[in-house]
Amino acid sequence: MRGLDSFRIVWRNLWRMKLRTILTSVGVMIGTAAIVAMISLSLGLKENAVKSLESWGNLTQMEIAPAFRSPDGTFIPDEEQRKLDKEAVQILKQIPEITQVMPTKRLHADSKLKIGRREGYVELIGVEPRESAASKKADLEKGTFLSGAKNEIVVSYDVLQQLVDVEKERREARKRNAQRNTRAAEMMPPEMGEGGGELKLDVVGKAAVIVLTRQYTVDDEPKFEKREIRVRVVGQEHKLDNPRYGPVAYVPLDMITELNEWVNQGMEEELQESGSSVRKTRTRANADKNNTIYDEITVKAASREVVETVVKKVQENGFEVYSPARELEQINQFFFVIQMILGGIAAVSLLVASIGIVNTMIMSILERTREIGIMKVIGATVYNIRWLFLIESGFIGLIGGVTGLGLAYGAVALINTLAKNSGAMEQFGFRGGPGPEEQLAQIAVVPIWLALFAIGFAFVIGLLAGIFPAFRASRLSALQAIRSD
Amino acid sequence: MANGIGELTVEGVNHSYGTGKIKVPVLHQISLHINKGEFIALCGTSGSGKSTLLNLLAGLTRPDEGSVWLNGEEISRFNENQLCLFRRKCIGFIFQSYNLLPNLTALENVELPLIFAGEGVRKRRERAKAILHQVGLGERLDHKPNELSGGQQQRVSIARALVNQPQIVLADEPTGNLDSATEKEILALMRQMNREIGTTFVVVTHDQEVAHQADRVIYLQDGWIKRIENARTANEVQLT
Ligand SMILES: Nc1ncnc2c1ncn2[C@@H]1O[C@H](COP(=O)(O)OP(=O)(O)OP(=O)(O)O)[C@@H](O)[C@H]1O
Ligand SMILES: [Mg+2]
Repeated sequence: MRGLDSFRIVWRNLWRMKLRTILTSVGVMIGTAAIVAMISLSLGLKENAVKSLESWGNLTQMEIAPAFRSPDGTFIPDEEQRKLDKEAVQILKQIPEITQVMPTKRLHADSKLKIGRREGYVELIGVEPRESAASKKADLEKGTFLSGAKNEIVVSYDVLQQLVDVEKERREARKRNAQRNTRAAEMMPPEMGEGGGELKLDVVGKAAVIVLTRQYTVDDEPKFEKREIRVRVVGQEHKLDNPRYGPVAYVPLDMITELNEWVNQGMEEELQESGSSVRKTRTRANADKNNTIYDEITVKAASREVVETVVKKVQENGFEVYSPARELEQINQFFFVIQMILGGIAAVSLLVASIGIVNTMIMSILERTREIGIMKVIGATVYNIRWLFLIESGFIGLIGGVTGLGLAYGAVALINTLAKNSGAMEQFGFRGGPGPEEQLAQIAVVPIWLALFAIGFAFVIGLLAGIFPAFRASRLSALQAIRSD
Repeated sequence: MANGIGELTVEGVNHSYGTGKIKVPVLHQISLHINKGEFIALCGTSGSGKSTLLNLLAGLTRPDEGSVWLNGEEISRFNENQLCLFRRKCIGFIFQSYNLLPNLTALENVELPLIFAGEGVRKRRERAKAILHQVGLGERLDHKPNELSGGQQQRVSIARALVNQPQIVLADEPTGNLDSATEKEILALMRQMNREIGTTFVVVTHDQEVAHQADRVIYLQDGWIKRIENARTANEVQLT
């Protein structure tokens, strides 16, 4: 028998029993729709989670910290923990999978940045210009990164908001107060001043002043000492989706070391006078001088694939690693479990559906007993009969699979629309990237492999359900089949 | 066993129905030989075992004892699938109740054996049409069985039995459901096919009319061959 002919015969039989075919395939349809909708939902959630992680930070970048727990789980006392010092940087640089080691150090005091008439508090972060240049360059909107020359700074985007013209603000505040007093009855529309708006301030290339203040007490009287450093703004970062720092200025590491010393000296003097725990601070200050202790060391892996290796090697050297990639791992595990559970539920529903198919097929064998007998007498072989029934139940599965996939597409579209309209994305903590809105608005996605898999799976379910009925049909004795009325 | 194309030989066949302890013997020591192109009538009272013998010849039942040879092959040794293939190639079967598939047209019913044989659409349609013309149903190709009279349905069934060009056609009371006028037509048709194509026919019948048309008549009684009668010469061969 030719394939096409057998399909035609099967199709006729299914068409003849339209209602029953439909009702039987509904089971498969619901099962398939459940599988596809659930898996696509969990895939979509995962994709969103990964995307928001990616926008949070480059997945190849990792934070290094001293390990506070040894591999066997016991706590390591403070003194024995590794230090984030020059030696640590050297060790990290030895690891071949690490392409960059970027130590940073913060200023342990308040600092103000003045550019022209504007000023504002910013955090000073010291970086190694050469090490950090490669990865920091990508974040630049204007200008260049630190070249290594003295007294250069690069500011983050948030600094632009931070800088305000203090004099002007004051003037305007006075004006507003005056207006409120004179024309209290009239509602004035709030004046859109320069203060709040998204103004385009260009600071690159301008001279700036960093103002530090150290404070110490003499005879219970707080004393303040100011220090001003003249610098030049050479670059400005663009707006980052998830900035690690707020308003910051990147300066060469040497500058921070020096400034920290200056600030600490003040504190030391203060402590000396109060006379307590002097030695400890002094030793720390000394250690700082000889061997810089960094606040943070960021390393960059050569690629996403070697992140695991890097993590392992860094840990072997007595450090702890924090990276979005490790969270990704946990997300993967979490969604794998979710998918397994959802898949299990759907599998049960498909099992029930396949029992439905078996039932239907046995029913139609009973109905068609005579027909089977006739076909066997006029030249159908055992295999022909078996094949016809197998294909028939496979088709029922296929019909269920295709309609179920359609249903799943509908459900997914519905979920996405609902999620978009109800703002569920924000609730789940997913924030849109710089791209178009819909990039992250898909809470559920049906990848092509899932669609194909679902249809194939439904067909196979049908085939499997058909095995027993097909054998039963082919084993019917032709003579008895014909006798049955 | 000397047995060629279109010939049938039955040797020492005993057959009984029932399983286990209660066995009802139906056929006793049946031996006979049928030549190519013969038209044989199988007669006997109801329950004498005519249908049982015919089913043995068609390979629908396997004998308890003895052997059945068709076309030079011992079909009583075939397995189920071999029997199916053998029927497809060599045997046409005609039923008393026609047994057409009710949801297929006349043409499709006749095409069905060729479909199972894997024949291409063009060729099988041509052959089915030709044979339907031969049995006088050229105008009724697209009618479903329930739109045809009993005689017409039996013609379709004859066409279906012959479309594979089998060497042997077996018919179980093909005219049992028909009035005598139609019966004559159907018989004439079978006889005509028997002569034109040279197909061997074995026809089970109660009817003297059929018996008169046959080359030989085999009489069964209580599962025994009572006598074989050469109808043409009226020579009776009495068996002991
Ligand atoms: N499947 C069966 N199981 C048990 N006994 C059977 C079976 N088929 C037939 N018989 C018995 O075998 C005997 C012969 O039956 P068979 O059908 O061959 O007779 P027949 O000559 O064709 O009769 P009829 O002219 O009524 O068709 C009968 O006694 C019948 O009761
Ligand atoms: Mg009978």
